[in-house]
Parts: sequence; C-alpha cells; structure tokens
Amino acid sequence: MSGDRKLRDKAEESAPEGITVSRRRFVEGLGVCAGMLAAAAVPGLLNATAADLAQASEGEANTGDEVLDSIIEHDHAINYPDKPVYYAKPAGKEKWAMVIDVKACIGCRRCVYACVKENNIGRNSGFTYIQVLEMEPGKVELETAELNYEEAGRSDRWYMPVQCMQCADPPCVKGCPVKATWKEPDGIVVIDYNKCIACRNCMITCPYGARHFNWVRPQVPASEANPDVPLEEKAYVVEKCTFCVHRTRNGETTACTEACPVGARKFGDLNDPDSEVSQLLKTRRVWRLKEEYSTDPMIWYVG
Amino acid sequence: MDVTDVPATRPGVKRLIGVDFDLGALRTAGPRYWAFVTVLLIFTTLGIIGWIVFLTQGAGVMAQRDNTTWGLWFSNYMYYVGLSAGGLVVYASVHLFGAEQFRPLARLAVLQAGVLVMVALLGDLTDFVRPWRFFWFVVTPNPTAIFVYTGSAAAAYMVLCFADLWILITGKGGEKLAHRMTLIALPFAMYLHTTTAFVLALNKSRELWNSAVMVPIFLTSATASGVALLLICAYIMQHFGVLKFKKSMFRSLATLLATVIIIDLFLLLAEIITVYWPTAAKLGHTERMTLFFTGPYAWMFLPVLVLGIGAFALLAPRSTRHLPKIQITASAMYVVAIFFKRYTLMSMGFSIGTLGQYETPYLPSLVEILLAVGLVSLGLLFMTIGAKVLPLAVPEHEHEEAHYEPWRTELEEDDAEEAAHPGIVPERALDAG
Repeated sequence: MSGDRKLRDKAEESAPEGITVSRRRFVEGLGVCAGMLAAAAVPGLLNATAADLAQASEGEANTGDEVLDSIIEHDHAINYPDKPVYYAKPAGKEKWAMVIDVKACIGCRRCVYACVKENNIGRNSGFTYIQVLEMEPGKVELETAELNYEEAGRSDRWYMPVQCMQCADPPCVKGCPVKATWKEPDGIVVIDYNKCIACRNCMITCPYGARHFNWVRPQVPASEANPDVPLEEKAYVVEKCTFCVHRTRNGETTACTEACPVGARKFGDLNDPDSEVSQLLKTRRVWRLKEEYSTDPMIWYVG
Repeated sequence: MDVTDVPATRPGVKRLIGVDFDLGALRTAGPRYWAFVTVLLIFTTLGIIGWIVFLTQGAGVMAQRDNTTWGLWFSNYMYYVGLSAGGLVVYASVHLFGAEQFRPLARLAVLQAGVLVMVALLGDLTDFVRPWRFFWFVVTPNPTAIFVYTGSAAAAYMVLCFADLWILITGKGGEKLAHRMTLIALPFAMYLHTTTAFVLALNKSRELWNSAVMVPIFLTSATASGVALLLICAYIMQHFGVLKFKKSMFRSLATLLATVIIIDLFLLLAEIITVYWPTAAKLGHTERMTLFFTGPYAWMFLPVLVLGIGAFALLAPRSTRHLPKIQITASAMYVVAIFFKRYTLMSMGFSIGTLGQYETPYLPSLVEILLAVGLVSLGLLFMTIGAKVLPLAVPEHEHEEAHYEPWRTELEEDDAEEAAHPGIVPERALDAG
C-alpha cells in the first residue's frame, strides 16, 4: 500500500501542481464569484434609479420653443440639498446659459483677468477658471491646441475659451463622494468649500479641466479682495467658475461677459425666449466641446 | 522556534481576547531582530514627521498639482489593496476550492491582507489636509460616486480580515465558521478590487482609463502580486523559523503565480492592441499611449513589460520552477513590476490633460516619499511584531501537514501524515474514484 501511495503522490506532485478541486467546492466557488459580480453591478443600478428619480421630479419647461424646452427640461438640480450654497442667494426661475462666438474671440485673455479679480482666485494659486486655447485652423483638435500662447490675435489661429460648462449632466457632481458639490435649480454647479474633503475626484471626472485645487492658501491683496466671494475657506479645497453666481442672481451679467472687448460672450436666461442666448440657440449652428461625452454643457460655441 | 508549540502556561504568554500573545518571544529576540525593528521605527517616525509637515504647511508641499491630480498615495492605494486581495485569494482557495496545500499559509495570508489594506487606507487619510471631514462619507454618501464604494469596501474589508484572523487563531466556530468567513471575505476582496479599478475605469474624461478591461487587469495584477508577495513572505518566515512549509506548497504557489502573470500580460496586450489597431485608433488614445512606449513616461512602463515577461519566463520551465531562487527572483520581479504598473496606470490619466496639454511626468516630493516610506515601515512593523507575538503557525491537527522534520524526504512526510491521520482520505483520491 505504501508503495502504491508513493507512486500516486509522486504522480500528483509532477502533475499540474495539484490544486485539488472537488466538484462541490468548485460549484460553490463559482456561486460566490457570481454573487460578487452581482454585487459589483449594484452601483450601476443605483445610478440608473437615482437619475430616473431626479428626472421624474423635474422639468417644467414652457418657452414655446421645442429646442429650448428640451434643453431646459434636461438641465435640472442634481444632489441639491434644498438650500442654496452658503455664499449665494437662492436661485430664481432662470436657466443660465452662455454662447461664445469663437469667430469674434481674439484670445486677449481679458476675460481671464477679470474673472481672477472678480472671484478672489489666489494670485499664488497657479490657476484660472478660464483657459483660452489657441487652435489650429481647420480642426477642433485639443491635442494640437496651445494653452500657453504668448501672442494673441494671430490671424492664422482661432481661440476657444474653456471654463466650467455648468453641464446638464455633470460628471463632477456625480463623482463627488460626499455631495459637497451640486447643481442648483438654475443650472449653476456650485461647491460647498466647508464640506469638500479634498479628494479631488471631481477634477478627475471633469472632461474640461474646469476644476482647480488650492494647493496653497489663496492670497489676494486686501485692496483687490471681493467681499461677495469666499476667500479664506477656499484653502485646500476645489474651486471653479460659478457663472458669477453672486452677480448673476442679482441681475448682473458675468465678469467675463462684461470684460470681453469684442462682445464674443453672450450670457443669459434660456427661460426667456427673447434673450440673446435663446435667440442664438434657436437660429444659429452652435456646437459644444466634447459633445460626444453627453455631459450636455450649458456653454455653446458659435462661429 | 514555533510559537504555537509554546504551552499557554509558559511565562511571557499573555492571553487576550482568546489569543495567546507570546510577549516572551520578544524578550528572547536577538539583536538583529531589534535592529530591524529600530530601523522600521525610525522610518515610521520620519513618515509621521512628513505628515506633520503636510498638515501644518498645507498641500503645497506635495508634488501633485491640478494636472497630476493624484500622486503616489493613490498608486500605492491601488498597489496595497491589490497585494492584499491577492493574498486572500490564496487563503480562500483552501476553503472554496479545496486547495489544501495552501492551508499552512492561512493565518499569514490573512494577517498580510489586513495589514496591507490598513496601510492603503492610511495612505488615503494622510493625503487629505482635513482628514476629519471624512465623516461626510457616512453622513451624505453619494451613490453615484465610486469612491464611496471602494472606500467603504476597504474599511469593511480591513475589519473582516482582522476578524477572520481572530477566528482562525482562536478556532472559534471551528472549520465551519472559517469556511463561511471565506465565503464572505473572497467576494469582498474581489469587490474591493473591482471598485478600485472602477475609480479609474468609470471616467469618460480620461481616455486610457475608460476601459472595461481595467477591472480584470486589476484582478489579475492583484492576484499575481499578492501571491508573489505571499511567496516571498512565506520564505522569509521560514528562513527565520517562524513557519515551516513543504516544498510542494511553494511549487503550487509558483505555478499559480505563473498562470496569473500570463493572463495579466495577455489582458495588457489586448488593451494595447485596441489602442493602436488602425480601425480603432483615436488620436487622444494613441498620443497618450505612445508617451509610455517611447516618450518621457517610458521609464515607468517598460519595466512593467520587461519584469513581467521576465518573471513569466523564469517560472514557465517546469524543470526549474521548484528552485527557491527562481521562485523568489520571479516573485520579487513581479511585485516590483506591479508597483510600476500602478504608477503607470495612474500617470496614464494625467500624461496629457483633459484639454490636450502634455504634462511632464509626476515625481513625488520629499514629503510624499516620507509618507509612503513611513507607511510601508508601519506595515512591516506590524508584520515583524506579529511574526514573533502572534501564533501564526497553523497547528498540526488543523491540517494534513506532517510536522516538519528536515531529515525526512517529502515522500516520507506524506507517509507519516497518513499514519498520523488514517481517517483522512485526500479529496484527489475521492475524485479519481
């Protein structure tokens, strides 16, 4: 018997390493794996349900125009905690949108500078909300675009300002693990600086490079600080363009729109069918950046 | 010295929550042991200093910036979670697939898994300037954010590992409970790893991450690196006389390792083909990927291929697979390869920004390195102390292994084993019948 066993063991040891699997245990193992896969699908299901619920509770659009109505219907509050972000007035009835005329834009970056001043962006923070891309003619190709160009207004280039698109379907809001950023009823995506845990996942999810992290304590000269915009609490959290929420909810336009010397930026309310943005969307051939991502930006380009 | 052979009455053994902590073993430990512990303590202290600098000076002391949003802490998170899950797969295969030869590894594998996932979580925690804001995770978790799933999975998994270790050591609930625990722990390990892969894959904003193959790649990389680390760890424990294993156990591990490595490499190849094939190639993908083959990112990606293929080539020939040197070299190569792979994967999301701008490769700052080294040292410290104090050896009566006696050959051991347990019929024999 001993000899038999020796032979058998010897054979087993040279066989494909003897990971022994009984049928029952193998089936059990398979069952466990299947269970694991099912569990992994749960986030996806939750996603779908959450989105459906949100859509069902929103969307009363009545501008009398099909194009505008479908846009407005899709642009609803997401993860909104039922009270406006602490640094802004409650949202009104508007649905904010912007149209940028890239044929008119000369790439002078005056909008960038105005935005930095208006929004208390740290002079030492190393970012701006608006980034202007210098594009080669004949294509909309980000890979060949130049961000740090030195000479503006070149006739052989065109310019495309990019900032937070206030997407109707914002991946950043959906990617924030703690709901520290949300979309308000008027479509503006805001961040609660006192809640942000600084995980920076929103910056990963944003396809437009629109979100920026304060790696340092933002410094703004006292004479230039804007009292209507938070400053201190933006240290070590993420910030981004808010469509100048402190201005626009008070009946003003955004700082960038105001600063543009050639009038390339149009800002307004889609619920008003006569606003400049509504008219442009209805009558002109407009396009959006990375439209194939179906984030539905609320900033359109024209020209 | 085999700690489990120490009778409970021996001085220095303290029984706490049902576990015999052999504190006496620390007293008799040699100077080399204490020298190693001292080195680990120094590095851990350096890590704590790094963390204090970070908390007081702010995030500016890190090399991460807007374009490289995540850094070493994140690639290490993926790395440690993977190593952890891989070790557990080996342990669970004892119970789920009846791979009895891995049973002596059980406690070591579970301890390694728990410590690694703890280090992974601490790595996350030490990257945030205001760690106390973490309570928002509990108060307002966002169901559409994958971070919620991977974070909670890692935390629960850590608890699960330590609970499992306790059950294995105390023997509470017997074999049945241990078996049931693996039924929870293994799917959980895979779930944790799947969600970690999803942290990358579920971003349409990052071309090279946004691929479903990321999930199986994560699982295979995790299993391969985890098995490799466990193999090294088992050799170390054996070298210092903490645990004893049969040669066939190591060969089984090595075969498992070779199998998973080749699947891992195959999945990578499939992904690369999808990026470059003429009917599939997109500028955004190919431009980014090329940076990793010939561009300034090649130094992190090419080692993945060289070390990975090298490790497989070492383990593939049957004639040499049983040699400890081959096994250890190949394992070490793959553990290093996966570190580079994690670093590469992370960098792939940042090499070209979302607005198409090229970024220079990210290298961690001194503070980030101190934090990482401190955390590794802390993990090693846990393992080093655990090796002395915890009863890591699986008692003889719990498995079919014979007591290790170096003068016997392996075949004789098997005979002795049958003599000792005449009632146990190997399942292999049953299946054959």
